Amino acid sequence: MPAPLLIAAKDLRQRLRDRSALVIGLVAPLVIAALMSVAFRGVETFHFDLGVVDADGGPVAAQLVRALHAPELSPVITVRAQDSEFRAAAAVRSRTLQAAIVIPPGFSASMTGARPEPITTLASVNNALAASITSSIVSTFTAQLDADRLSVATAVAAGAPGGRVAALAGEAAGLRIPIQLVQRPVGSRELKPVSYYSPAMALFFLLFLITFTSRSFFVERAEGMIERMRAAPIRPSEILAGKALSVLVFGTASMGVLALVTTVAFGAYWGSPAAVAVVCLAMVVSVVCLTALVIGLARTQRQAEGIASAVVFGLALLGGNFVLVSAEPDLLRRLALLTPNGWALRAFTDLATRGGGLHTVAVPVLAILAFSAVAGVAAVSLSRRAVSA
Amino acid sequence: MNVRAPPADPEGLRAAATGHVLSCTGLTKSFGRRRAVDLVGLHVDAGQIYGLLGPNGAGKTTTIKMVCGLLDPDEGTVAVAGRDIRDLAVRALIGYVPQEVALYPDLTARENLAFLGRLYRLRGRVLGERVDEVLEVTGLSDRARERVEAFSGGMRRRLNIAAGLLHHPRLLVLDEPTVGVDPQSRHAILERVRSLGAGGMAVLYTTHYMEEADRVCDRVGILDHGRLIAEGTKRELVARLGEKDRIDLVASGDMEALAAACRSVPDVATAAAVDGRVNVVAGDGRRVLPALLEAAERSGAAVHSVEVVEADLESVFLHLTGTALRE
Repeated sequence: MPAPLLIAAKDLRQRLRDRSALVIGLVAPLVIAALMSVAFRGVETFHFDLGVVDADGGPVAAQLVRALHAPELSPVITVRAQDSEFRAAAAVRSRTLQAAIVIPPGFSASMTGARPEPITTLASVNNALAASITSSIVSTFTAQLDADRLSVATAVAAGAPGGRVAALAGEAAGLRIPIQLVQRPVGSRELKPVSYYSPAMALFFLLFLITFTSRSFFVERAEGMIERMRAAPIRPSEILAGKALSVLVFGTASMGVLALVTTVAFGAYWGSPAAVAVVCLAMVVSVVCLTALVIGLARTQRQAEGIASAVVFGLALLGGNFVLVSAEPDLLRRLALLTPNGWALRAFTDLATRGGGLHTVAVPVLAILAFSAVAGVAAVSLSRRAVSA
Repeated sequence: MNVRAPPADPEGLRAAATGHVLSCTGLTKSFGRRRAVDLVGLHVDAGQIYGLLGPNGAGKTTTIKMVCGLLDPDEGTVAVAGRDIRDLAVRALIGYVPQEVALYPDLTARENLAFLGRLYRLRGRVLGERVDEVLEVTGLSDRARERVEAFSGGMRRRLNIAAGLLHHPRLLVLDEPTVGVDPQSRHAILERVRSLGAGGMAVLYTTHYMEEADRVCDRVGILDHGRLIAEGTKRELVARLGEKDRIDLVASGDMEALAAACRSVPDVATAAAVDGRVNVVAGDGRRVLPALLEAAERSGAAVHSVEVVEADLESVFLHLTGTALRE
């Protein structure tokens, strides 16, 4: 057996005996992916109870209440009539309702006046999404009212007879604002949170291999084993190759097991197995290169731990392993493309939403490999010094 | 007085002769401005145990690392069985036993040995037999399946040596193998080294314990400040002193002042303080003793006991360097 394989086999044997390696490589990402799955269960079928206080009782208020009962909104909203603003506010505070709309007295009558009465929305800070949807519904309705009012005012100003005002208002109310926001996903599937956080957590813990491996390298060096290996008839490059191979095997196995378990147990969708395998492999290669770079940069175990921690958390934060990239500011979304894990997450997201195979992940994989090449070139000269030290 | 003898073989010319298992010529290594090893030349023949003797920091480990190919010399060459150490295959002829125990604590004794044996290209049945053999020799057969982390310090040391013997090297390099070892294990290690030498293996053995060199080495090189200041058999080295004795004064008080006072006595070659003693090398120990005791009284030190012994390696080192080996 060639020396790199011997060294890799020995490293893997040690790793399998090391509980912390198994925890970091398999148990922790599985547990966190499971927790994420539970935490985000139901997010993809969001529904909330909306309270409505109709203190007006007029035709315009009735029109709003009818709109809220529209079939299009029923999957998202269940409307609960409330007696008063006080009761509605109390229900929102106690989280019986997630939001409420208060239609003030004289609301319908004020539509013909110069200063229409405003509609109030009540929402809990704990449920930003419900607040946002409620506010959006009210805004759309009031925009429609304003358009109606403008149409009638324009007709009157253009000399329409006074007797026609009521009829014109009715016709205007029957119209709809022609431009509406229609959300349609680019991909053919919706991205479930578990399908995002499973690879995100798998990648995050894969990055931990950098810390783990660089630390164990320095421990091994302090124990004199690197020197002992160098005294044998093998080249320093074979020692490095063995170390790299063990990371490659452990990292790939870890990603593979996580992909399998999260798919089977939590219903995550990773995408085409071949494409997933290629992305995982590219990502593991980048972890190997980063590990070599950390080993090359550090001179002691403590330095290696410090540098590796900075690299791991820096990449995880920038790459979007903790927060959905879509929820991040534009700057962070751009910075994510400077990280291999950011590209890997993009690849997994594309696979989960657009489907497809190797062509879907070609660009991300090339980007990851380019990153690896840069890190690898920097690591080669530095790591040789680390082995020879 | 700090006497420094010239290097025994500055150009390493003798070592260049063929037929030696190990030949080092003009080995030089500097770290920054500090010259750790300076033109060291030595050779070790089959069946010979060569002791490289010197205090901590004398350059023993640096020399050994160059011998094993772990460190490139700035100048000079190393050949094992006539082949340059830069030839990777030559490493298979060397058994390296580092100063610190170099084993994986989370692997068993057998797993450690099997891994290292495979690095030396041992395979299959041969590997199994060699592992069994070295475990037997080091008395660890019944602990073979235990993890090294459960071993005592002495057992680890023995296993450390066993790992260097697995591939039946022609040259065994031992870097202070008895440091921190209990007397029983130390005895076992020294006996093992002697039997390896008797079996025909060439052994390069570093130590700063004079009695170890005295006990196991056929030939001794004295290294000081990176230079090989003397080399030969124990008898040859002691003969360099001429008719001299060593006088050990066990005393209390200002030992440096006592050593200085002793050096002022006529016929005293040198004196050095170490571990509550002052070691003196003088022409005729018994004749010079009264003058030494007077000098001690003048220095203010209280002498508790005096021993006059025949010159040995300790005396040689003291004579050559003006310092005691364990200072």
